[in-house]
Amino acid sequence: MDEPLHSTADFSAPPVIEGIAHVVAIEGKFAWLEPEQTTSCGSCASASACGSKGIGTMANRLEQRRFRIANDANLAIGERVVFGIHENVLLKGSFTAYAIPLATLLLAGSLAQWQFGSDFITMAAMVVGLVIGLGISRWVAGRLHAKGDLDPLFLRRARPGETCNS
Amino acid sequence: MKEYVLLMFSAALVNNVILGRFLGLCPTMGVTTRLDAAVGMGMATTFVMTISALAGWTVNTLLLVPFGLGYLRTITFILIIASAVQFTEMVVKKISPSLFKLLGIYLPLITTNCAVLGIALLLVEGKLSFISSILFALGSAMGFSLVLVIFAGLRERLAVMDVPRLFAGPPIAFIVVSLLALAFMGFSGMGAS
Repeated sequence: MDEPLHSTADFSAPPVIEGIAHVVAIEGKFAWLEPEQTTSCGSCASASACGSKGIGTMANRLEQRRFRIANDANLAIGERVVFGIHENVLLKGSFTAYAIPLATLLLAGSLAQWQFGSDFITMAAMVVGLVIGLGISRWVAGRLHAKGDLDPLFLRRARPGETCNS
Repeated sequence: MKEYVLLMFSAALVNNVILGRFLGLCPTMGVTTRLDAAVGMGMATTFVMTISALAGWTVNTLLLVPFGLGYLRTITFILIIASAVQFTEMVVKKISPSLFKLLGIYLPLITTNCAVLGIALLLVEGKLSFISSILFALGSAMGFSLVLVIFAGLRERLAVMDVPRLFAGPPIAFIVVSLLALAFMGFSGMGAS
């Protein structure tokens, strides 16, 4: 059995979340990649008994999740590469896509309920709040995209047999 | 105001959807191997659960109850949840394709999350008003996210611990989640004065 780790071991996660992808196309200075693992629970111990894993592994879903990176490393079609995204990107993305619309929805609903006290007016106000929130999300996402905050990074070529868990 | 706060507190902590009602155990075990995945899944579930509660209450109050179609409730709610997930997916894709590539991974998992359906059905059973339903769903989803994040943090630590081989992997994770459930039971002893 391995030696137990000392209690002062660094438990913090790595700053970059890594994934493995195949190069599926080359377009000028850019390479299109298709991620190998598309569900976060597809490889867990109970994957064979879980109904969730099949949904995310369909071919069309893989195609939808293709992304583009700058081909500075002269990648060729069929190569396996390790890409990464900064750890805080997922948090920023979740906040932008979900928290902003939810906050405006609740704010609009609360104001309507406090002002009018009618369920149907509250419902209409929530829908309006949701639409406004989605508009704000779109603007914030556009800014993040323009700054390049959401772009994945090329890290290295994958070793033979390397998987996300290795 | 106080009753709304208590409703959310009760839904999030006292009757926690995972540790109190034992719903949504598949994502609890599946996406808690990393903290960032747990946060992403938690926020996506919070959004979908709130939207589903909004749509579910509306359909139930305006269609199912007036026309005596209560026997179609479960299948209607399944359709509503699937539509809410599809809607969210389309919206995220439209807002930003980059965000969709980043977060789209969690959305299909929510369709098969029994916690979302369970909460929608509990709302009908509780005969709550519209705003109470939304707050109950939001509180439940926040409780769900809280447990995912706590459990993911514990599992990240477990991954580097010296666990006896017999308990390594899912067995120790189940033991940890059961201890977490015991800790959450403490909230049921709290009274509002």
